[in-house]
Amino acid sequence: MINCEFDRRRFLQWTGAGIFATMSTQLSLESLASAASDAPLPVNTPILVLVTLYGGNDGLNTVVPFTDPVYESARSNIALSSSQLLPFTDSLAFNSSMPSINALYGQNKVAIVQGVSYPNPSLSHFSSMAIWQSASLTGVSSGWIGRWLDTQPHNAYNAIGVGSTLPPAFVGEKSVASMVDVSGMQLPWGPVASLLPRLGRSSSSDVALEAAAATSITDLFSTASLLGPLIPKSSTGSMLGQQLSLVSTLINANVPTRVWEVNLSSFDTHTGEQGDQNVLLAQVDAAIGAFMTSIGTGSRSNDVTVMIYSEFGRRVESNASDGTDHGTSAPVLLIGNGVAGGLYGEQPPLNALDVNGNLEVTTDFRAVYGGLLQDILATPVSDIIPSWNTALSVH
Amino acid sequence: MRRTPSFEQRLATARLLHRFNFGPTPGQYTDLLERGIETTQSTVLEHGHFDSGLDSVAPLVLADLGPFPQGNTSAAMTFWNTIEMDSRELVMWWLDRMVVSRYPLTERMTWFWHGHWATSISGVSYPLTMQKQNNTLRTHALANFRDMAKAMVVDGALNVWLNNNENYIQSPNENLAREFMELMTLGVNKFTQHDVTAAARALTGYSTDQSNGNVTLNLKQHFSTPLVILGTKSQLNAESFASLVVSKDENARFIMDRLWFRFVSGSTAAPASLAGSFASRDISSLISALVHSTAWTNPANALVKSPVEWFVGACRALKVRPSTLNANDTQWELSQMGQLPFNPPNVGGWTYGQAWLSGVAYQYRFELAQSMVATGDLAPLSVSKSKMVQACADWLGVAEWSRRTASTLAAAVATPSEVALAALLSPEYMVSA
Repeated sequence: MINCEFDRRRFLQWTGAGIFATMSTQLSLESLASAASDAPLPVNTPILVLVTLYGGNDGLNTVVPFTDPVYESARSNIALSSSQLLPFTDSLAFNSSMPSINALYGQNKVAIVQGVSYPNPSLSHFSSMAIWQSASLTGVSSGWIGRWLDTQPHNAYNAIGVGSTLPPAFVGEKSVASMVDVSGMQLPWGPVASLLPRLGRSSSSDVALEAAAATSITDLFSTASLLGPLIPKSSTGSMLGQQLSLVSTLINANVPTRVWEVNLSSFDTHTGEQGDQNVLLAQVDAAIGAFMTSIGTGSRSNDVTVMIYSEFGRRVESNASDGTDHGTSAPVLLIGNGVAGGLYGEQPPLNALDVNGNLEVTTDFRAVYGGLLQDILATPVSDIIPSWNTALSVH
Repeated sequence: MRRTPSFEQRLATARLLHRFNFGPTPGQYTDLLERGIETTQSTVLEHGHFDSGLDSVAPLVLADLGPFPQGNTSAAMTFWNTIEMDSRELVMWWLDRMVVSRYPLTERMTWFWHGHWATSISGVSYPLTMQKQNNTLRTHALANFRDMAKAMVVDGALNVWLNNNENYIQSPNENLAREFMELMTLGVNKFTQHDVTAAARALTGYSTDQSNGNVTLNLKQHFSTPLVILGTKSQLNAESFASLVVSKDENARFIMDRLWFRFVSGSTAAPASLAGSFASRDISSLISALVHSTAWTNPANALVKSPVEWFVGACRALKVRPSTLNANDTQWELSQMGQLPFNPPNVGGWTYGQAWLSGVAYQYRFELAQSMVATGDLAPLSVSKSKMVQACADWLGVAEWSRRTASTLAAAVATPSEVALAALLSPEYMVSA
C-alpha cells in the first residue's frame, strides 16, 4: 500500500529547505545547559512556541460549528456526533480528543482565531506551507522568524527548532536558527546505566583521547543532573509530546531562547479521517496539556505563548473515502497564561463557499503573525513582513 | 615455548586490526598475538582473494527510478518512498559487507575513499547513482590512484554533487574543478585560480543522468582549445586533466598525508620517506608501507574510532549482521552520532578525533551497543568470572584496560552481557589508543 501521508521531511525535501540544515548549529545539551547558566533569559521575556501541523489539519473537525445544519449534511460520514464534542459556546465545540485544550479555554487561556488563511489560498501543501513559513505570497525564500533573527544581535540561542532539520520559517537572509534534538534527552537506561558513570572517571593510564572519551561520558551524566528530573522519559508520550516536554524543560531551565518550533506530521486525512485525526489531535492535546502544566508551575508561567497552525484546512464536503480533500481557511490556536482567551475573527459560513467548495478567508495569517511580532518579539510588523501593517493582538 | 606478548606487541596488533580490518573477529587477536607482528601485518594486508564472507551478502540490485516526479501525486509519493527504501538498503548492504568480510582491507579502503571523495546522497538523491560510485571506489580501492582519479572525475554522483552538470563554457561552474584539486588530489594552495578556471573548462561538456549516474561527453559543449593547467599546456578532457594533476609530486604527498592522518595519527606527521612507496601511485604499496611502519608502538599515535568504525568493529566481535538489526533505529543512531554512510556532512568529508566524542553522541552509542549486544554472540565471555575481564580485552582487541574500566567490568561479571556493553562503551574501545 502506498503511504500517502504528507510529512514534514518530504516538504523539506521538496522545497530544498533541508540544505539549510547544514548551515545551522545543532546544539548539544551541554551547550544549552551552560547557556542557561551563563546567560539565562531574563524573567518576563516573552517566548513564542510554534507548533506546526504538517499535512493540512481539518479545522472543521477541530473547532466544530456543530449546530450548523450544513456541517452534518455536507460531511455525514465524518461529522462528529454529540458524544464526540466538547461544546464551549452555543454553536462551537472542540473535538472531544481535546479535553486539555477545552479546559484551558475555560480558564481563558486559549485564543481561537477563526477562518485564517490568505487571499486566493493555494491548495498545494508545498506552496501553502511555503507561504505560511515565509509570510509572503510571492515566493520569498527566507522565513519570517529567520528575518526576525536577522534583526537581532547574533546569538545561537535566539531561536531553536526541535529535530534534526530546520523549518524554512527559521531560515533568514543572514541568520539561521539552531536545532536541538529531542532524542538528545534520552539517558542510558537499564541495569548497566548505573555502571556507565564509572567509565567516565579519569584514569592515570589514559592517553589524551581516552581522557576525552571519559569526559564525554561524564558530560552526559552531569548535563542530566543539571537539567534535573524534568528530562522526559524516552518511552512515554508521542513524538510531539517529547518535543514539547524538551522545550518546557529548557524554558524552565532559563535557556536564552525567544522562539521554539516543534511539529507533527500526517494531518493529510484524505481517507479514514476520523480515526486518524482524532488520534493526532489527542497527541496535540496531551502534549499541550503537559506543556502548560510544566510551564504553569515555573517562573515562566506568564511568558510563554503557543501558536498551533497548519498549512490549510480541508474541504467542507467530505469525500467518498471518509476523508476530506485540501481546503483553505482554518482556526489558529494561541495558548498561554498571558493570552486573552476567547474567539477572534469570524467563523466563515458553511453555506457561502468559494468555487472549489472551500471556506472563505476571514482573517489573514499575517495579522496573527503581526500580533505575535508586536506583543512577543517587540518588533515592528513591517520590518519583518513586507508591505504589511496589520496586527491582531491576543494579549 | 610461549612468551607472554609485551604491551607494545598488544598495542601494535590491536592498532593494526582496528585500523585496517575494522577490528578482530572472536579469537583473532590472541591468535595473532601468538603468531607475531609480521604475521599480523601480512594478515591485515590480505585482499583480492575469494571472500566467503562477502559472498554471503546478496548483491543489491537497484532500479533506475528515472527523473524526479512532478507535483504531489501518488506516483510521486511512491517514488520518494522507493528512494527512501533503496537508501536504507544501500546503507545496510555496505555495513553488512564491512562486518562479514574475511579480508576486510578492501571494504576498509573503500570506506576511506568514500570519506575522501565525500559525496553525499543529500545532493545526489538517487541510491543507484551512489551505489555506482561505491563500486568504482571499491574497484580502485587498492589499485592505482591515477586510475581512481580518472574514474572519479567522470563519476556521475561526484559530478552531480559538485555541480558539473551546471558547468558550461559560457557560464562555468568551478565547483568540481576546485574541489578535485583542493580536497581530492593536491591540497590547498597547490594551484592558482587560473588553474581552477582552466580546469573547469576541461570539465565542460560532461552531463550526468542523475538517476543512474551515466555520464556522457558532448564534444560540441566541450572546451577543446588547449589549456594551461599547473604550468603545462595541452588539450584536455576530464581524464587527461585528472592524469595531469595526479602526475604532480604534490599529489603523492597529499594522498600519503591523508592516509597517515586517517590510519596512523592525528598528531604526528608522516615521514617523508613514505612518499617513495607511492611513486607509481600504487595504493596497495603505500598501505603496505604504512602497515610496516614503526609508528604502531608510538603512544602518540592514538586515534578516535569514527562511529561507523566503532559500530562495525563491535558487530564483527559480536557476530551481528547489521541488516538483522532494526534498520531505522540503526541508521538514526549512526546519523545522530554524525556518521551515516553515503551522508558525509560536506565535501570536506567526515570530522575526526575529539569531535566524535560528545556527551550527546554517547547516548546513541549506548543505544546501538544495546541493540548489538542483545542479539550478539557472547561466547568469548563464557569463562570463569575471575578471567572474564581479561578475556573481554582479548576478545575485543584492547591492549590493556585502565584500572577504571577493569574495576567497572569486574563489578558486572555476574552478567556477561553487561560486561560486553560496558566494554564497548569504555574509553579504551571508543578510542584506538
